[in-house]
Amino acid sequence: MLGFIVRRILTAILVVFLTSIFVFVLLYKGVANPAGPVCDAQGRCTAERLAAIEASMGLNDPILQQYGEFAGGVFTGRTVSFGETEYDCPAPCLGVSYGTRGLITDELVDRLPATISLAVGASIIYLVVGVTLGVLAAKKRGTATDRVLVSSSLVVSSIPYYLFCLLAYIFLVLKYPVFDETGYLPITEGVGAFFLAMLLPWLVLGLFSSSNYARFTRGQMVETLGEDYIRTASAKGVSGNKVVFGHALRAAIVPIVTIFGLDFAALLGGTIFTEQIFRIDGIGLWALDAVTRPPLDFPVVIATVLVVAVIITIANLVVDIVYGFLDPRVRIS
Amino acid sequence: MRFKKPFIALTSASLLSLAACGGSGEGPSTGSENVDTENLANTGDATDPDREGPAVIDGATEGGTVDVLSVDGANSLDPSEAYYTNTSSILQGLVTRSLTQLTYDPESGQQVLIPDLATDLGTPNEDFTEWTFTIRDDVNYENGDPVTPEDIKFGMLRSMDRTAFPEGPAFSNDYFEGGDEYEGPYTGGNTDFDAIQIDGQDITITMSSPFPDMPYWGTFPAMGPIPEGPDTTPAKYAQRPLATGPYMFDEYNPERSLTLVQNPEWDPATDPGRTQYPDEYTFDFQRDSAQIDEVLLNDSGDGQTTLTYDNVQASNYPTFQSEYADRLVEGGAPCTYYMAPDYRKIQSKEVREALLWAIPYEDMATAMGEIAGVTRITDATNLMPPGIPGRETYNPVEEHEPGTTDPERAAQILEEAGETGYELKFLFANDDPNAVAKKDVLVRAYEEAGFTATPVATTLAELSTLRADPDADINLRDAGWCSDWPSGGSWFPPVLQSTNLNAEGLGSNYAAFSEQDVDDRIDEVVSSPVEDQPAMWNELDEYIATEYLPVIPYHYTGVAMAHGSAIEGFNVDQNLGMPTWKDIWVNQG
Amino acid sequence: MTLQPGLEPGVVAEREDASRENDPQSSKKLASKSPTQIALQRLRKDKVAVVCGSILLLLIVLALAAPLITRAMGIFPEINSPGAGNLGADLDQFGYPEIGPPYYGFTWEHPLGIAPSRGVDNLANLLYGLRTSLLVATLATIISTFVGITIGLMAGFSRGWLDRFLSFVIDLFLSFPFLLGALTLAPILTSRFSTDLDALDRAQLLGLVAVLVIFGWMSLARLIRGQVLSLREREFVQSAQVIGVPTRRILFKELLPNMVAPIVVATSLSLPAYVAAEAGLSYLGIGLTGQPSLGQTILLATEYYSTYGLYLWVPVGVVAVLVLALNLLGDSVRDAFDPRTRR
Repeated sequence: MLGFIVRRILTAILVVFLTSIFVFVLLYKGVANPAGPVCDAQGRCTAERLAAIEASMGLNDPILQQYGEFAGGVFTGRTVSFGETEYDCPAPCLGVSYGTRGLITDELVDRLPATISLAVGASIIYLVVGVTLGVLAAKKRGTATDRVLVSSSLVVSSIPYYLFCLLAYIFLVLKYPVFDETGYLPITEGVGAFFLAMLLPWLVLGLFSSSNYARFTRGQMVETLGEDYIRTASAKGVSGNKVVFGHALRAAIVPIVTIFGLDFAALLGGTIFTEQIFRIDGIGLWALDAVTRPPLDFPVVIATVLVVAVIITIANLVVDIVYGFLDPRVRIS
Repeated sequence: MRFKKPFIALTSASLLSLAACGGSGEGPSTGSENVDTENLANTGDATDPDREGPAVIDGATEGGTVDVLSVDGANSLDPSEAYYTNTSSILQGLVTRSLTQLTYDPESGQQVLIPDLATDLGTPNEDFTEWTFTIRDDVNYENGDPVTPEDIKFGMLRSMDRTAFPEGPAFSNDYFEGGDEYEGPYTGGNTDFDAIQIDGQDITITMSSPFPDMPYWGTFPAMGPIPEGPDTTPAKYAQRPLATGPYMFDEYNPERSLTLVQNPEWDPATDPGRTQYPDEYTFDFQRDSAQIDEVLLNDSGDGQTTLTYDNVQASNYPTFQSEYADRLVEGGAPCTYYMAPDYRKIQSKEVREALLWAIPYEDMATAMGEIAGVTRITDATNLMPPGIPGRETYNPVEEHEPGTTDPERAAQILEEAGETGYELKFLFANDDPNAVAKKDVLVRAYEEAGFTATPVATTLAELSTLRADPDADINLRDAGWCSDWPSGGSWFPPVLQSTNLNAEGLGSNYAAFSEQDVDDRIDEVVSSPVEDQPAMWNELDEYIATEYLPVIPYHYTGVAMAHGSAIEGFNVDQNLGMPTWKDIWVNQG
Repeated sequence: MTLQPGLEPGVVAEREDASRENDPQSSKKLASKSPTQIALQRLRKDKVAVVCGSILLLLIVLALAAPLITRAMGIFPEINSPGAGNLGADLDQFGYPEIGPPYYGFTWEHPLGIAPSRGVDNLANLLYGLRTSLLVATLATIISTFVGITIGLMAGFSRGWLDRFLSFVIDLFLSFPFLLGALTLAPILTSRFSTDLDALDRAQLLGLVAVLVIFGWMSLARLIRGQVLSLREREFVQSAQVIGVPTRRILFKELLPNMVAPIVVATSLSLPAYVAAEAGLSYLGIGLTGQPSLGQTILLATEYYSTYGLYLWVPVGVVAVLVLALNLLGDSVRDAFDPRTRR
């Protein structure tokens, strides 16, 4: 078991490493003039200034050396220089934003709460609603309720998510302002205000995703309800609800929780559409703005990709290890 | 003065706008009639050297938070570097005091020049080569320290450091004696500058050439006090400039947001222009245009105390105009949009003239989302916008009716010059749908007129970098410029005087125009008697256009800003095309 | 080379299928049909599938015929399409159309109106947008299916380091954030192809396809690998190996035909995902720009939702219907191929 865990952790580290190096090289080698945004932000960008800035940023070094400095900074901190200006960037240093000239790490800490609140709220909704509906459908398998639940969840999840989100925004915020203000307010500005502003984004993201969970739960439940030990329990005279919730759901919940772990990690990686439509200042919107608003903010893009890859990898790792404990077959394969 | 952020019409990833009920049977067809097109840039030459504080607005109540939304971001808010209309206006109106100031006059709708930190508008010598200002001794910074004449001197010297503040205005360098040599306290490492002398509370500045506009230059944040010391180094001070005005920085996220709170050390009795009614101002510099309009049209909750200095979207303008006219603030802004052919590359005047006939003025404005008669206030003729003293409308090309396009005429001129198929290379932001539409319109019109159009794609994020690069492989730039004050002196030196391309880049000379003849004439006007200058600038404008046609102005701008129903005192500062911050209060009733 | 009859893929597959069939009667009845035929037969009886298929067919025909339709009607998708009308002539000073909706009645000249502040015809734009959308999704599906199958087969059939390596690569791509990856591409493409706009358009399109493929092949590869792992222990594969059939032949002639069902299902479900992703990226402003695209139109039109509803709701409706139809059809295909589904 220990060997399995060590192997998985090493793989995870390798994944994060390769992801970050990939994006780093792609951006710095791909874009024609990577020092341009820095040069421009300080005014008249003459050829000499550009050259000086390029030199100070280390853009003339081999790309792997540049990456090495970046990666080293994550662990030990470094000094980031843009031409004449130098920024002290303590570990964990993810660089300095071209746009705001602030430390990326600080801004990340600034923006994480919004994304985390969104992800937590929405996932609670989709887990509760999705599993409840799924169990209900499985219990009433073959009836009209089942068919309505399954087909409506299929239809909902077949619509592109951003259209769902956009429709909710147009109708519930603009046309019929049921929800007055949406967005992220720090919880310090009042618990009530925080909940009110996040309610609609939670509901939209939660209800949309719950349709998948409903179908997945139903499938798992139908399978376990068909198992011998359930039939035995029923035959012994255990009541219907107790069989469903006490026995079948308990067995079905393991794969559901697994999927949930991975989905939750993906949500933490930024829900660009939700954040962009409801203007929630989270990780996803941050990355989008870095690319679509001047100046082109490479360090932000690289940092977000890196952080999100770390989150997803950790989630995968946790799920794998937990699964390894639960199911010995995984370790062998 | 630089445009807020030229040519970034952000519709990318935009959201929605609420128009309560849009479709009337007929299409809306009228433009605005609220704008005096003849006096666009006219701040008026009204002055009131004896105005004294406190400034009081009848009926105004204290309290409330004003939310300000904009799409444009905000460049440096360091007083030495603030030279965009938005940053300059916010600092002058609310945060920093300087030698003099402009304030809104409700009767004329124009700006009046009044004293600020100086006790009057300054005393010049006979030929305006020496100015003396007497500084008030009863003004404090937000931290309680008194403002001294030495601080004002240091503020001026600091702003002359062109390397530390490359984007800032350079009038001190241009006019103060020895200013072109002085490198500033950071780059030069010293504060030895003899042209500014202090005697008690008096500051005397010696000029290298007559500078009658000094009281106007005195309104700039760069002409205010900054204490010398380790806390005011460029990197630090840009994060938190010290307030001398009624509001001070609370939270500041560069480019993103700013919260201003009341400055307890500000004494209304010392300030003849500013007021301190609202408790707070919050600025969000990165909202989508459509979302801003939506908040203002909704006018509910915080929307009632919200205002924007961006123009409302053309698509929402009819709704604002027909239903919320009282919350729409329109007026002129002293800015000209122009095409700037690269003078080094497009050397033939015939080609530039053909371009003048070929530009699809109307289609281009429509594609850019400009509102005819409102934000595209009139078609342009002179480089100087209307309202500048001495300006008389002329037509750079006699037969050309401003704002009209004639591809055949253009093709004919090209053919006669043997330049048919001349290649025009220009930039556009491929991720901005408006810019793409504009590009399509331009390509079509240029091709129709016998040019070869080569649009060069870039992204919004990179557009301004490339545009400012003198070596970029393009030969046509889109540009805009606004008056710093109503005088040709804030137009020709920055826009058409030769720049050292290697040392300074294009600066604001987007056409890379360079003619010794014109440089000399500019110098001649500058050193002429003050009363002759307005007429001379006008002559020069016409002379340059008819002789060289270096740039092709296409329209003058106006503004159509909007505010929520609880905002009072919001008018157009016609000097900057921005809100009259000094008069704003929140109606709590 | 001919193989023993018993090793003919079709027959084997059928036996496999039949053995899993629960109902002995139906298995007897279908004994002479391949699983694909069975599936098709089931699909034809599936009302949802028939309706969705018809809608799709209609949309595909419309997209293919876009140049013909627009030429016949004299409408143009882009401002600088040859022969397109003048901007100023059709739009008022606020950029609203002076002909057709929303302020004037229906006109055959522009059945869906013209776009405010751009003056292009909405129908023409829609048809061309549909065309791009389907083109991108189809290309991405074909390529990602090919990549997925190849890597899945390789990983599944080769034991040892190659399998481990390929599985690692699959994991690597799975933990890469797709949207963020797509974000990085837009500025790179624009800066690389800035002067040749036709090339830029093509590059954007192919870049989008590449992004969709790069982040879309893994699930199929995993699926195929799993299938191969179980199939390669079967007698027909092992005997083929014993008699010395080359590996490539085993892979493509023996294994692949047994995996038609999962491949068809995966493909039919990835098509709608790609359509949605293309429109979504373009909606964010990081997909296609400067050429007709449904996502771009939705982005531009959202601000007009109350003043010019038609401009927004038509492309929203088309994307929703297209993706919905593709998804439901994919679902029906899966059911049709899944012998365990009881209908």
